Amino acid sequence: MNRNVQLLWNGLIPENPIFRLALSMCPAVAVTTSVQNGLLLGLAVVFVQVFSSCTVAIFKSFIHPRIRIPAYVIVIALWVSVIDMILPVISPEVYKQVELFVKLIVVFAIIISRLELFASKEPLIPSFFDGLGMGIGFLFGLCLIGAIREFFGTGQLFGFDILGFNPLLIMVLPAGGFFVIGFIMAIFNWVEFKLTGKIPTSGGAH
Amino acid sequence: MTAVIMALLPSTAMGVYFFGWRSLTLVIFSCLVAYLTEVIFETYRNGTPTESVLVSGALYGLSLPPYTPLWVAAVGMVFGIVFGKQVFGGFGKNVFNPAIVGRSFVYVCFPLYLTSQWMTPISGPLGRLFQYTDLDAMTSATPLINFKHTGALASIPDLFWGNISGCIGETCVPAILLGGAYIIYKRAADWRYPLSCLLGAMSLNAILYLLGSNHVLDPMRNLLSGSLLFGAFFMVTEPVSGCVKPQAKLIYGFLIGCLWIVIRSFSGFPEATSFAIILGNTFAPLFDEAVALLEKKKKAQMQVS
Repeated sequence: MNRNVQLLWNGLIPENPIFRLALSMCPAVAVTTSVQNGLLLGLAVVFVQVFSSCTVAIFKSFIHPRIRIPAYVIVIALWVSVIDMILPVISPEVYKQVELFVKLIVVFAIIISRLELFASKEPLIPSFFDGLGMGIGFLFGLCLIGAIREFFGTGQLFGFDILGFNPLLIMVLPAGGFFVIGFIMAIFNWVEFKLTGKIPTSGGAH
Repeated sequence: MTAVIMALLPSTAMGVYFFGWRSLTLVIFSCLVAYLTEVIFETYRNGTPTESVLVSGALYGLSLPPYTPLWVAAVGMVFGIVFGKQVFGGFGKNVFNPAIVGRSFVYVCFPLYLTSQWMTPISGPLGRLFQYTDLDAMTSATPLINFKHTGALASIPDLFWGNISGCIGETCVPAILLGGAYIIYKRAADWRYPLSCLLGAMSLNAILYLLGSNHVLDPMRNLLSGSLLFGAFFMVTEPVSGCVKPQAKLIYGFLIGCLWIVIRSFSGFPEATSFAIILGNTFAPLFDEAVALLEKKKKAQMQVS
């Protein structure tokens, strides 16, 4: 497989930020009460991750190793400011619900860890694909959790009423978010166990 | 374990007296569901189902309001056994009390059935002994909910004998005391748990009451209403999810008692049993560790001197 495609795939399933690396769990629990929230925050993360990775990959020779973390934070903050001005125009309604977390993308563990682990060592093109893969993996995770929680918690999907009643109210509460993430993590681990025959060590082991 | 089931009989009988025969159906149905869930999981794991699951089922059934639909009871029981017990590896390995896990799950999930449909107290001397259930007697409040919303107080004799609206097994104090005395006498439960739990609840309650907070009931009513006694004797005493060391047991019970009063008085929920005990369960291993550490330090000091 082409390395770039592999990087893309890597972020989506084998090293999915939420279910395999267990990074940025706080927004994953907090905003995923509906698919729309997850979708919007996920898009913001894809944008910030891709552009931050590219920026760091280009300017890595200018960044002194000792002050690399503050420099990364400034780079991320730059792109967060950009997306923070774009999102209210795209979807003002949903933006109101995820506003706080869009600003908090600056300190998301997943973004800074990808800059530190990947973009600061690799050239531009792989960094772009790694950022894109990780971003899409995060987006996929948020949408999956959001869909499950919205469907079981309120009987809706994308705000459209499907069931007409609330099956399990606990799903829209934070406790339900942890349950859903735990379930999906267990499924990921089970699939890995079936495929490789080894008991997985990831899901927080990185 | 059989001792605990024996000890629950008086409470169940009084539940039938106050709330009709449907109470017994709920308890037996919960036991059945619990047992089936356990059998399915233990067959998969090649283990044997233990009778402790019947205790969980009975405790869970007794902690439900008399009008709870059977399907709600079943959902909560399956959740309690699977996520409170089986995912941790079955009997003896559970971190949380399965009955409490199931109870808090349905409490949060189905507020309509668990917090707003209660049965009014009985009027005649025969109670509801000849009724299956009493659909005309539906009310929306227990003494604790009444106090929270209007500040109304129930009479102490009613609270003591259990002629109030509430969950099946929690209202009748003499029956609970009888059962509690029996399990402590039979050594199925450690006396330290109920003692320290009630001590913690009452002392914090007394302090808050004397300070003049108007969110707090007086200690006597707080002791008798809701499921404080039922929980202290039957839920907190569950040995697996509790502590091992005697001193740790005392701290554990005391903390649960304090939490109980705080959540009951100052949160949006009128009753706090499940949340207080779940929080206590979470910290139980920590108390054991702390006590072990202190003992070790003391020993070292004694050797030096």
